[in-house]
Amino acid sequence: MKTSLHSVGWVLLGVAALLGGCADTAATADGGVESNMAPVKLAHVVCATCHGFDGNSVSPQFPKLAGQQREYLVAQLTDFKGHARADIKGQQFMWGFTRLSHEQIEGLADYFSSQVTMRGHGMPQGDRGATLFLQGASDANVVACMTCHGAKAEGNGPFPRLAGQHADYVYKQLIVFQTTNDRPRGAPMKVITHNLSETDAKALAEYVATLGQ
Amino acid sequence: MLKRLISHVLFARQGSQGTDRRVMARWWLMALIASLAGLSATQAWALPAFARQTGQSCVACHAGGQFPELTPYGRMFKLTGYTYGEHANPVSAMGIVDWTGNNNNSDGMGGQLTDLDRRFLLDFGSVFLAGKITDNIGGFGQWTYTVHDRQDNEGNWLGHFGSDNFDLRYANQDSANDKGLIWGLTLHNNPTVQDVFNSSPAWGYPYIAPSGKASVAAPPATMIEGGAAAGGLASSVAGTGVYALVDKSVYLEFTNYQTAKGPWSFLSIGNSTGDPNYPLTYVQSWNPYVRVAYTHEWGPQNITVGAFGMQANILPLDGNNYPIYGQGATHYSDTGVDAQYQYLLSPHTVTGQFRWVHEAVNDDTQNFFSAPATLNSLKLKGTYVYQEKYGVSLAYTNVTGSADPTAYSASANNSPNTTYWTPEVFWLPLRNLRVGLQFNLFTRYLGAKTNYDGNGRNASDNNNAFLYLWLAI
Repeated sequence: MKTSLHSVGWVLLGVAALLGGCADTAATADGGVESNMAPVKLAHVVCATCHGFDGNSVSPQFPKLAGQQREYLVAQLTDFKGHARADIKGQQFMWGFTRLSHEQIEGLADYFSSQVTMRGHGMPQGDRGATLFLQGASDANVVACMTCHGAKAEGNGPFPRLAGQHADYVYKQLIVFQTTNDRPRGAPMKVITHNLSETDAKALAEYVATLGQ
Repeated sequence: MLKRLISHVLFARQGSQGTDRRVMARWWLMALIASLAGLSATQAWALPAFARQTGQSCVACHAGGQFPELTPYGRMFKLTGYTYGEHANPVSAMGIVDWTGNNNNSDGMGGQLTDLDRRFLLDFGSVFLAGKITDNIGGFGQWTYTVHDRQDNEGNWLGHFGSDNFDLRYANQDSANDKGLIWGLTLHNNPTVQDVFNSSPAWGYPYIAPSGKASVAAPPATMIEGGAAAGGLASSVAGTGVYALVDKSVYLEFTNYQTAKGPWSFLSIGNSTGDPNYPLTYVQSWNPYVRVAYTHEWGPQNITVGAFGMQANILPLDGNNYPIYGQGATHYSDTGVDAQYQYLLSPHTVTGQFRWVHEAVNDDTQNFFSAPATLNSLKLKGTYVYQEKYGVSLAYTNVTGSADPTAYSASANNSPNTTYWTPEVFWLPLRNLRVGLQFNLFTRYLGAKTNYDGNGRNASDNNNAFLYLWLAI
């Protein structure tokens, strides 16, 4: 036991020195010190874990970023950093990125927006989604999505590309816009989706997921 | 906080010659309580160290929030050395309050098998140091105080403090292409605690179970599942291994285990050579462990299939609990196959695990087995979690093996054959708090459904209900 305690003391002191130092660093760095990892490396070793090496995520839990609008990416990363985007999944997975530097945000946006654009599965189911996307629903006061997101859902600056995105992700974001104020930058979407039924939201999401061939 | 914990250790060391683990344990318990109080006062989310480090919720790494079951992201976090994120407060704590109700607590002679039956217990608490150290090195250590550990001559329960899980690793990765290679080194103190798949034993189901002191059931298990009669390896061995994840799909590992003594004794706190209650388990020469696994993701699903093998040579101890060299060992040879499936898409989480282990034992000492023996262990488990909050699971365990009068003397026919079902419901009112009710229902115990001990005790007498509250901060 005596030998064991000797060993324990030294080892724990060592760990304390290492981790204690870390704790002190964190205490002074919270909200202050920004990461300095190169953006491309950051994309490859961190973002890629969920979003894919080239921005084509496998799981619909995580949005595809490949070929996404650069301006939109900068805005979302900025909102995650500042905790302005507060949807539950955004909080759970993205609120830790408070120390992204401006250069990293710009670099990540450059990286993912320049990848070969995400592609849909090309298997449209029904025409309700297409109708809503291209023409809207005047009776429900739903504006045609293409007005802002483009005729092929390619996006435009602050309006994200939807073509080829995971349907489940798009559907859940429509519900976030409709039922919460968790994405302030997307406030206009709250009005647009106000009368969108659950069935129509799913049809829309399924439709855009087929695009981008 | 960390410095305070260290000072408690040093203070305990500087005490009188009579300073023993009980004094030390009391200090650690106080430190644990202080940790809980201090952290809960400062952490609005009350998340453990890794969550503070990554800034992410528990559900990022734990499937449906059911710690410790890992998502693909959680597995990558571990394989890359726990280094994602920024340096943060590395101290975490965990406490468990529980209640175990045995179906039949009678010893058949007017007494009871355990006096902890049907009592609410503050059962045990742990302190963790966890987090990244550099961009390539990180780990976690867990030290646990067990409140009801053993009884003195007057029947008073005594506590025990000691090492629990420990895994320190160096990891590196080739991130220049989409296939990638992750490789690393691991130092740990329990076979498979370094594994990232929850179909392997150390992090396999059950994630929490009745303590061996409150439950009257003690089903047999293989060495790699923690059941070596010749001496437990957990917190008694130092495992040094090398691993690689190739193409994000093929996992390879080789680890060798040696006795956690001398410079490695920080891995075996609480176990020491000659200790009458916690003698250090000694292993002889090479004790290799190999692991291969293939994992694949598609959509919200992923599947893993794997195999593992381990040889352990455990030395006998003399009457003073010192190792005996030169008179052979108890040789365990375990081989296993395992698989895991996960569906992860909120609000639904579905996971399943399978593990089968075949064990061959040759006991030179004949202290634990009269003759060469075999043991086979099958574990199946399925879980559904809704909204990362409400969960239900069902597990099936079947152990079969050769009869042995020394190993299974509690059985009338010397058989290890045991079968039981484990249904469980749980609720996560907070990300770091789980409340659960689990049942262990035996359809066969040590070779028979009825009268397995020859004294009229039935397998179902060992059934138990287990209610727990599990808090991590």
